[in-house]
Amino acid sequence: MFKLIKEIFRSGEATVKYPFAPLPMEKDLRGKPEHTPEQCIACAACTIACPPNAIGMTTDVEAATRTWSIDYGRCVFCGRCEEVCPTDAIRLSQEFELAVAKREDLVMKAVFRLARCEACDTPFAVAKEVAYVQEVVAASAPTPDEAEQRRRLAATCPACKRAHDVRQPAAFGVARRLEETRR
Amino acid sequence: MSSLPTVDQFTPASGIGRIDTPADIARMKASLLKDIQRSAYVYRVDCGGCNGCEIEIFAAITPLFDAERFGIKVVASPRHADILLFTGAVTRSMRMPALRAYEAAPDPKIVVSYGACGCSGGIFHDLYCVWGGTDKIVPVDVYIPGCPPSPAATIYGFAVALGLLGQKLTAKTHVEGENERVAIAHPTVPYNLRVLVEREARRMAGYRQGGDLAEVFLAAMEAPDGRPFADRLAGLLRSTPDPRTREIFEALGGVITAAVGRLAR
Ligand code: SF4
Ligand code: SF4
Ligand code: SF4
Repeated sequence: MFKLIKEIFRSGEATVKYPFAPLPMEKDLRGKPEHTPEQCIACAACTIACPPNAIGMTTDVEAATRTWSIDYGRCVFCGRCEEVCPTDAIRLSQEFELAVAKREDLVMKAVFRLARCEACDTPFAVAKEVAYVQEVVAASAPTPDEAEQRRRLAATCPACKRAHDVRQPAAFGVARRLEETRR
Repeated sequence: MSSLPTVDQFTPASGIGRIDTPADIARMKASLLKDIQRSAYVYRVDCGGCNGCEIEIFAAITPLFDAERFGIKVVASPRHADILLFTGAVTRSMRMPALRAYEAAPDPKIVVSYGACGCSGGIFHDLYCVWGGTDKIVPVDVYIPGCPPSPAATIYGFAVALGLLGQKLTAKTHVEGENERVAIAHPTVPYNLRVLVEREARRMAGYRQGGDLAEVFLAAMEAPDGRPFADRLAGLLRSTPDPRTREIFEALGGVITAAVGRLAR
């Protein structure tokens, strides 16, 4: 009996103090993914990487906005979003106290404005993303002229790029030359 | 089935009305939460999860987290339960048993949706054979997200369900501000070189630690004090006590040396 009591005192109390005291957490705990909208370029890399589609995007062409959203009720805390984010806009934090009474409270959203295509003036991609891509491609260009051309290319919508790809060879007369070679 | 009693047989004698309108249930739930003078009994309904959630629930009642010190007790029958804990994405075949457990629990009852699966279907949300969440079949009072929620998150969720702690999360919508722009990180390092460094660091240490180490490395290489690269690298290596980190920094230095060598050729 005495031995048992001694053993109890020796082993001490194992129960953690939580919720009366904060629980010490691992530095790299995969808790709530914390999104910093100011740092996000709405590139949709996380949307594609997210295994349960907890992150999604919807585009409203009328209002020229794109809405990024995350549903913490569907997130499986895998960290794929953090892995793919090019601007470190999303990072898993140590936050784990996520229980809510209303389902809507588990959804966070961020609304971004769309940029208009330089050629046809239709909204096609998030303005922040276009600006970021322009900066990246211009920074790696060999000449200022080339940089300017790459900037304009980044601000053109895919449809206009395709149309341009068709028009340009036409101007060079590729079809005519092909005909000539065939003869 | 004809031997089952009809609803009328259950109607109490005059004076006491039937108490199953939504308003009655809400009132009873409020009074249950206010003057519950005993333990809250929890019945766990597994609606087709991966069992990860069950393991964490049992971890929450072990001596380490000891949910029983708050009177939260897991019981073996829904007829004893105050709280119904639904885990799993509600598979087709578990829908009827889940509904039967819900009906078997006496009013007032609190329904807790546990885990990503319970909240929304989680990773199984678009499977052909699931309903995708507890709230598709029964009204839910508290959602505990997580895959699985850790024992601490479980205790927090119970505390929210019993009204002991307030919830922290609220819906938020950020609208892009004027002239919000994202700057390129480390603008003095050529973009392609930065990508090579980050890729090597992540290859060696994983995306989290690798990304953090690449950040430390690039910041040290970028510091505007005009020392040559080899000096900086040596300084960084000297100030790194951990041999594993040092090895990674050495490899990152190698990436930069190789890139500069390619350029010189
Ligand atoms: S990957 Fe990063 S920058 Fe891209 S949309 Fe997601 S959070 Fe935003
Ligand atoms: S942690 Fe995983 S599941 Fe959660 S939002 Fe990121 S990618 Fe999606
Ligand atoms: S939420 Fe995650 S751990 Fe829980 S049952 Fe679903 S898949 Fe398993």
